Amino acid sequence: MPDPAHILRSQALPIRADVWPAHALAHAPLAVVPTGNAELDAELPAGGWPLGNLIEILQPVAAHSEWRLVLPALVRQGVGVVVLVGAPHRPFLPALQAEGLLAHRLLQVEAGDATQRLWTTEQALQCAAVNAVLAWLPRTQAGSLRRLHLMALGQDKLLFVMRPQDVQSEASPAPLRLRVQPADQGPWDAVCVQVFKRRGPPMSSGLVLQPRHAHLRLACEAQIG
Amino acid sequence: MWWLALQVQDPDPDPDQDQDPVQVPVPLVDPGLALAWWALRFTPCVVRLDEAVLMEVSASERLFGGRAALVSVLQTAAQRPPECFALRLASGPTALAALGRLRAAAPDAECNDLPCDVLTAARPFSETLRNLGCQNWGHLRALPRAGLARRLGTPLLDALDRAYGDRPDPYVWLQLPPVFDMPLELPTVVESASALLFGAQRLLAQLLGWLQSRQLGVLAMEWSWQLDTRRANAQHRDAHHDGSGTGRLCLRTAQPSRERAHLQRLLAEHLGHVQLPAPVGALRLRTLETQVMDGASASLLPDTSATGHTQHQFVERLMARLGSANVRGLQMRDSHLPEAMQASNAWAIKPSTGSGPNGATSAATPGPRLLPTWLLATPRPLVVHADGPHYHGRLQLLTGPRRLEGGWLEARPALRDYFVARSPQAGVLWIYRDRLLRDGTPQWFLHGFFA
Repeated sequence: MPDPAHILRSQALPIRADVWPAHALAHAPLAVVPTGNAELDAELPAGGWPLGNLIEILQPVAAHSEWRLVLPALVRQGVGVVVLVGAPHRPFLPALQAEGLLAHRLLQVEAGDATQRLWTTEQALQCAAVNAVLAWLPRTQAGSLRRLHLMALGQDKLLFVMRPQDVQSEASPAPLRLRVQPADQGPWDAVCVQVFKRRGPPMSSGLVLQPRHAHLRLACEAQIG
Repeated sequence: MWWLALQVQDPDPDPDQDQDPVQVPVPLVDPGLALAWWALRFTPCVVRLDEAVLMEVSASERLFGGRAALVSVLQTAAQRPPECFALRLASGPTALAALGRLRAAAPDAECNDLPCDVLTAARPFSETLRNLGCQNWGHLRALPRAGLARRLGTPLLDALDRAYGDRPDPYVWLQLPPVFDMPLELPTVVESASALLFGAQRLLAQLLGWLQSRQLGVLAMEWSWQLDTRRANAQHRDAHHDGSGTGRLCLRTAQPSRERAHLQRLLAEHLGHVQLPAPVGALRLRTLETQVMDGASASLLPDTSATGHTQHQFVERLMARLGSANVRGLQMRDSHLPEAMQASNAWAIKPSTGSGPNGATSAATPGPRLLPTWLLATPRPLVVHADGPHYHGRLQLLTGPRRLEGGWLEARPALRDYFVARSPQAGVLWIYRDRLLRDGTPQWFLHGFFA
C-alpha cells in the first residue's frame, strides 16, 4: 500500500488555490511584500508579509523588535504614508532614514484610549494614500480585530497590530500571528521569531533572526572579542 | 425667442419601489433656486417666475443641436446624480406661454386653448371670468380691450399681450451670488449639536449646487446658529459662543473641496465638540473662502488606482477628532543632541506638488553610526545597583562610550556618554551616563531602543 503523503505529493492537485495540504504552506495567490529576510520569508505562506491581512506581532512588555521586522517591507512597498497609531515611543528619524524610510512617509497619531485607536486604524485603512498601518492595540476584543481584518481585506495595505505576549492564548481572527522576543543565546542583536499561527503546519521551533545591525556586530566584536 | 419652463416635480412616495439609498437626493433648502442655478449651465438667460424656473434658450439651441436635443439633454442631465431632479418641462414662444403650458400640463396646447387660471394675472378674477363664460385665453383675448381694462384693470391685459408676444417682456436675469450665504429656519427647535447636522445637510446640498455652478471648491466656511434668546443660557460664552446669542463654527479644509461626504463628516466631527447652551431655531451657512476648482474628468481606461479617501481628507478627519497636535509628522533637524535631531510637529498637509527629496540630504549621515529606531521622548532614569545599571535585568554594555557634548548654546548643556547595552528581556538598548554630576554619582538614563 503506497504512502498517502506520497500520493498527495505526487498528484499535487490544484483543486482550489485556497485549499492546501496540511503538511505544506498555503500557496494561495496572495499579494505579499518580502520581509527582507530569506529565512523568515520561507516560513510565511506565499513568502512574505501578506497585503490586506491582519498580521499580529506579540512581544514581551519591555521588548521592542518591531522595526527590524517591518522596516524592509515598508521601504520596499512604495512611497505612501506609513501610519503609526499609538506608538509607544517616538520613531527616531536618523536611524530610519539610514534604512531608507523617508521622513515624509511617517505619520504618527497619538490616541489615548482603545476606541480612538481602533477608529484611527479604520480611517487609515480607508485612505488611498496610506501604504501601511502599524497599530499598538494592547487590549482589544477579538470582534474589533475581526472588523479591522475585514476592512483590510482586498486593500493593498500592510496592517500590523502589536500586542503583548500574554494574549497569545486568546482567539484572534488574524491569519498570521508571530511572537518575537530577544534570543536567549546567540549574537547580541538576535531575536527569536515564532510563527504560531499561519496557513500551514505549525512551526516546530523558533527562528533565530541574525543581527541586522552589521556595524553593531562589528563594534561588539571589536570591543569584546 | 424660445422659452423653457422647468419645475421640480415632487417625488411621489412609492413604498413598493425600493430606492437605492445612494440615489435618494438630499432635500435642499430651496429646490427652485438650486434648479435655477443648475439651469444656468445651459443658458445665461434664466429667471425665476412664481414656482417655476424659466430659461430663454434660443441662443443655446445651436450649441446643443436643436430644440429637441436640448430638451433631451436637459432631461437626462437632471436625472444624473448629484442633482437627481425629477423635471417637469414645457416650452413656448414666450415666457408666459411656456409657464401656462407647464401649469396646464399640456405641452402642445395652443395658446388660445390654455385655461385662464394658468395666467398669474388672471387668477384674482377667476370667479368673474367664469361668470362671464371666459374659459381660455382665446375667449379672454376676444373680449373688447377697453372694457376689459376698465373692469379688470390693465395688468391682466398687459400680461395677455406679453403672453402672446404682442408686447416686450423684459426680465432681470438671475445671477449667481458671489458669496454663498443662506439661512435655514429649522423645522423644530434643536437641543443638541449633533442634531444640527440634519439641517446642515440641506444647507450643504444647496452649497454644493452653488459650488458646482461657479466651478469652485470651498476652503473655509462659517456655520452660525441663533440661540433661543428667551433662555438665560443664551448669554453663555465659550469657544463657539460669544455671548450675543449666536454660535459660530468655522470649518476649513486644506484643499478646495466640493465633496459632500467629506464636508459632512468634517462638520460632524466638529459639531461633536460643540455644546449648545440653549436650543437653536435657525442655522446659517456662509462661505468665507473659495477657490477655483476643475471638475473631475472621466477616464477612458478603467480606473485602476487605489480607491479610498485622499490623504488630506484622512488627516483632516483625524485632526478634527483627535486634535491637530496629536497627528504628527517628523522632520530632520541639524543637531548633535539626539532629542534635537528631529522635530515632531503637527502634520502639515502639503499641496499636492509631489514629494520632493524631503530630508534626503540630511539622511546622508557621515560614517556608520549606531542609532536606535525608537527614541524616548524623555530619557528614563535607570536603577543602578552595585554591578551597574539595570533595566529588566542587569545591562551588559556592548559598545561605548561615545561621548557627546552639546546644547551649551541653548543654555541646556548636555555631557553624555552613550552606550549600547543589552538587557536580557528588553533586547538592545541605547543608554547614556549623564556626566553633569548632580549629587556626586553619575546618573544613567535609557534613551532609545534598537527595535
